[in-house]
Amino acid sequence: MHTIVVDLGYGDAGKGTVVDRLCATATATATAAAARPEPVRAVVRFNGGAQAAHNVVTTDGRHHTFAQFGSGTLQGVPTHLSRFMMVDPLALTAEADHLRALGVPDPYGLLTVDRRALLTTPYHAAANRLRELARGEARHGSCGMGIGETARYHLDHGDDAPTAADCLSRPRLIRKLTLLRDRLSDEFGGPLPAPPVPHCAAAFTAFARTVALAAEDHLPRVLARGPVVFEGAQGVLLDETHGFHPHTTWSTTTFANAETLLAEAADHTGTQPRPALRLGVVRTYTTRHGPGPHATEDPELAPLLPEPHNGHGPWQGPFRVGHFDAAAHRYAANACGGVDALAVTHLDAVPRCPRLRIIDGAQRHAPGPDPEDWSAAIGEVLGAPVVLESYGPTAADKRDRRETGKSKYVSGKSSGLYV
Amino acid sequence: MGSGNWSTNVYDAAARFRAASGTGAFAYSDRVTASAPRSTWAAHPSLDPKDIGIRESRDSAEHPTSLAIAVLFDVTGSMRAVPQVLQTKLPELFGLILRKGYTEHPQILFGAVGDATCDRVPLQLGQFESDNRMDADLGNILLEGGGGGQMTESYELALYAMARHTSIDCHEKRGRRGYLFLIGDEMPYGRVKAHEVRRVLGDEIAEDIPISRIVAELKRTFDIYYILPAGSSYVGNPEVLGFWRKLLGQNVIELDDLDAVCETIALTVGLGEEAIDLAEGLDDLDDIGSAAGESVGKALAALGGRDRGDVVVTNMRLL
Repeated sequence: MHTIVVDLGYGDAGKGTVVDRLCATATATATAAAARPEPVRAVVRFNGGAQAAHNVVTTDGRHHTFAQFGSGTLQGVPTHLSRFMMVDPLALTAEADHLRALGVPDPYGLLTVDRRALLTTPYHAAANRLRELARGEARHGSCGMGIGETARYHLDHGDDAPTAADCLSRPRLIRKLTLLRDRLSDEFGGPLPAPPVPHCAAAFTAFARTVALAAEDHLPRVLARGPVVFEGAQGVLLDETHGFHPHTTWSTTTFANAETLLAEAADHTGTQPRPALRLGVVRTYTTRHGPGPHATEDPELAPLLPEPHNGHGPWQGPFRVGHFDAAAHRYAANACGGVDALAVTHLDAVPRCPRLRIIDGAQRHAPGPDPEDWSAAIGEVLGAPVVLESYGPTAADKRDRRETGKSKYVSGKSSGLYV
Repeated sequence: MGSGNWSTNVYDAAARFRAASGTGAFAYSDRVTASAPRSTWAAHPSLDPKDIGIRESRDSAEHPTSLAIAVLFDVTGSMRAVPQVLQTKLPELFGLILRKGYTEHPQILFGAVGDATCDRVPLQLGQFESDNRMDADLGNILLEGGGGGQMTESYELALYAMARHTSIDCHEKRGRRGYLFLIGDEMPYGRVKAHEVRRVLGDEIAEDIPISRIVAELKRTFDIYYILPAGSSYVGNPEVLGFWRKLLGQNVIELDDLDAVCETIALTVGLGEEAIDLAEGLDDLDDIGSAAGESVGKALAALGGRDRGDVVVTNMRLL
């Protein structure tokens, strides 16, 4: 069974660590043999781009912030960047270098990119920063990497937008990059602070020679071979349709893209789609990186809940912490058509921070110091079973509720909700 | 949320990619064969024939009269130089076909043939492409370099895949057969084996298929040519040539210069499409500064004198 991992908040709930755990078949061997999951064949990214920041820490202490590689990479699971991804080849090289430094011998060998994926270029990034600077105090909370500009340019100019496939043809690439640069320069009334087209073209064609660019029949084949984890980026409360404007992202952050890919694959092979578990991820407290509404924000929580991997971003602004916003997360679950199951992260924060509450409209709820009571309460307010709990950064700090037999929501092997 | 953690410096990105990928044109092959034990070698995902579906050559607004051209070559030990030459010659093949107007909208598929009895990757098949995306397919071909040394390779498996797993508009909409070029130096096995079809392609077939039957089936949709180039193990071998001539009649081309492979294919298409006669084709080669004229002229002398009508008649009789 495939799993689609989606964040029911503003991002940063812990999708990376959840995906890492789902890919860690080795640690799942304690499970009864009959219920042992098939190894995950691939992690598929289905929205956003290089601005994602999914932190994974291995049991031996290595840490990587995943941006374009899937969060199963340190478990050796390959990544496919689907046609919904915006690919930034330049950021990819830096990420690959870091992965190699962590002991992944051939990161590019673990990567396939759909040829139809849009390219994020230095021109998009430059335009993004100029636009955000022009907003002054009314910033949207952009990451400054050009993801929104990539989507915008594609909406405005369709097939003129460079794609991964264009990197296979230098003449075509140069034509499209030049057009892109010229149009954006015109819009901003002067040359963009970005490198010349031939330099970009050299890097992008090198990208195409290094990374496998896959045709549209690739993903259907991968999906047919075994379970796949779809790794969402950002969060449903930032969704382009369902988020709170203008503090939204130019991306569909719900299950929709992943389910579209599954349906396309089924069409392609003429089969019934394999079922996919819709897994919503929440923290025990609600965070938001950058400006925009945050109803349960409590500045006094921040010093009690230190954030090792999220700091004050130069383009996004501060990392904001608040109590568990039940109404917002319930809205998110409903906005994306409901979830089959939940993963709750940062349960280890509960005993350390007695001030923490679940806020549901006018009600403030304190389930007590026991993390399991929090897990149950969150499952109840969001109306879905908690199948995965996280008490720390590594895969070993995760608990599958059904392994412990304590989930009151999921009956066991026969449920099909194995994660 | 978001990172911005990873530097996006364009000035070292190209060098970093190159450092990671090595320099060979067959980057995938170099990477796999250098870094992984043989038992783990696998076709690149874009070329893996397992559960292949259908490779399609389709008309589109941009290419309203597509013509399917498939080029499959032997990647066993004796033939490793051929794909290298094909890649350096690729622009000429496409350019020659287009610029000289042999056909307006060629769509080219590349594939590779090994030996299913002993190779990890006995068959690789790309897609029909109208632009140099096929360049990427070529770059992703795994040059396994295996093979048995018993004068047989699994061409029959490739012929089966082309017969049962392609769908081409030139034939379906306009009744024009596509072109299939096999480049190699050995014979096929006598039967398409059901167990190999299952293992390599994932198809269930009830029983083995004799080679002559799969060739007859494939001839409905493709004109099949076999090119035996110089520099390969069995060049001029009467047994190999005789076997293929029995299957393909005069569509067996002996080529004394490996560097002339692409020109040979281009002119064969030009002749088949009745765009040129042989003399005109050789003039075209002179025109573009190709030195391959002499070899191509010799190789295609047998084809030059007849038109495509004859081919149809020949094939009708075989069916």
